[in-house]
Amino acid sequence: MDAFPYLWSNTLFKVNLTTWAMTVLTGLIVFIVLRLGVRHLDMRHPRGMQNLLESAVEFTSNIAKNTMPNQQAVRWVLPFAFTTLIYLFVANWLGLVATVALHMQHPLPWLGLTATALATAHGKVILLDSPTANMSFSLGLALLVWLISHGRGLRHPKMWLKHFISPSPFMLPFNIIEEFTNPLTHGMRLYGNIFAGEALIGVLVGAPLLWGFVPWSMPLLFVWLIYSAFVSTIQAYVFTILLTLYIGNKSHEPQEVHHGL
Amino acid sequence: MVEVGTLVISLLTFLIMFWLIQHFAFKPLAKMLEQRRNHVETQIAEAEQGKTEAEKLLAQQRDLLEQSRREARELLEVARVRADEQARQLVEEAQLQSQRILTEGRALIERERAEALAGVLGQVTQLTVELTTKLLRDHVSEAVHAEMLKEAEQKLGELVC
Repeated sequence: MDAFPYLWSNTLFKVNLTTWAMTVLTGLIVFIVLRLGVRHLDMRHPRGMQNLLESAVEFTSNIAKNTMPNQQAVRWVLPFAFTTLIYLFVANWLGLVATVALHMQHPLPWLGLTATALATAHGKVILLDSPTANMSFSLGLALLVWLISHGRGLRHPKMWLKHFISPSPFMLPFNIIEEFTNPLTHGMRLYGNIFAGEALIGVLVGAPLLWGFVPWSMPLLFVWLIYSAFVSTIQAYVFTILLTLYIGNKSHEPQEVHHGL
Repeated sequence: MVEVGTLVISLLTFLIMFWLIQHFAFKPLAKMLEQRRNHVETQIAEAEQGKTEAEKLLAQQRDLLEQSRREARELLEVARVRADEQARQLVEEAQLQSQRILTEGRALIERERAEALAGVLGQVTQLTVELTTKLLRDHVSEAVHAEMLKEAEQKLGELVC
């Protein structure tokens, strides 16, 4: 188990500083890249980054179209879905591109790096990884989606109540259980995939050399990195699909016939 | 274990980041896309309108062309009928005229022949008289002479007619 620097580590409200810093870093990267992309927007002759961003928006919009009841709902969810997709993509890749860890000998109790914590982590303190490799952040995002979906569902309170007993009242317990399992699996799926990927990378990187100089784990690391990159991309996509699905399921607006666009 | 502090703080950070991204990066992009969508829609609508108009104009032109073609054909028909009529009249007139000229020519010939015949008759009479006078100078009195003349004239008249 790696060690992380914590704020207020002795309270119930302890904050993982690495995760927090990574959420900021990811946000900044996304912000800067998008800002660069929208620098020279041209309606008629899109170039370079603009094409990429447009196709990303189009992609997100298509995801949303399949799950949201009508065009208006698609437009409503699009900013959130788009930002989440890009944000998670960057966040998931961040831990693959670089992992920064410190080897600390001296405990820093005010950052939560106590002697016991350092001892269990063999002095390894993570300073840079994916924010989504942290369970709290991933579950937090899922919780946010859950809150948004119910907030939107409560725009039509009667239908919101009714959807708990649909398609029949027998489904009520299952629907209620679903309200807990959905956000839980939503967040844990993301966290599990990313954390597992990074944990194994950590193990492979830290594997001892054969006879002291043969890095036998390098080919495996290479394969695993490619696989993790794939998983990171897919998980960002999956999280976004489920996001639009959960919000769409609770959007009780009149259904609109899609015109195949 | 879920750390409430991490959850809340990172979620707040995410929301702030989301707001920044949404406001400064996504909005311009969405606005541009919306603009383009509107632009394309207007263009399509205009193109459709233009097409309808063009079709209408084409139909009009076709009608006009058909109409003028029909008129031209009618004009041609009328002109041909008129030309036929004129030609017929001309031929008729020419026939009449030639008939008249022929008749006049015949009359002229007739008259001239009569005149020439009368002239010749006079001369023959005179010559006969002179010849007779010369032949009969001594044998014929004035009275006989006159009678002979009368007879000769009569005979000549019979000869001529």
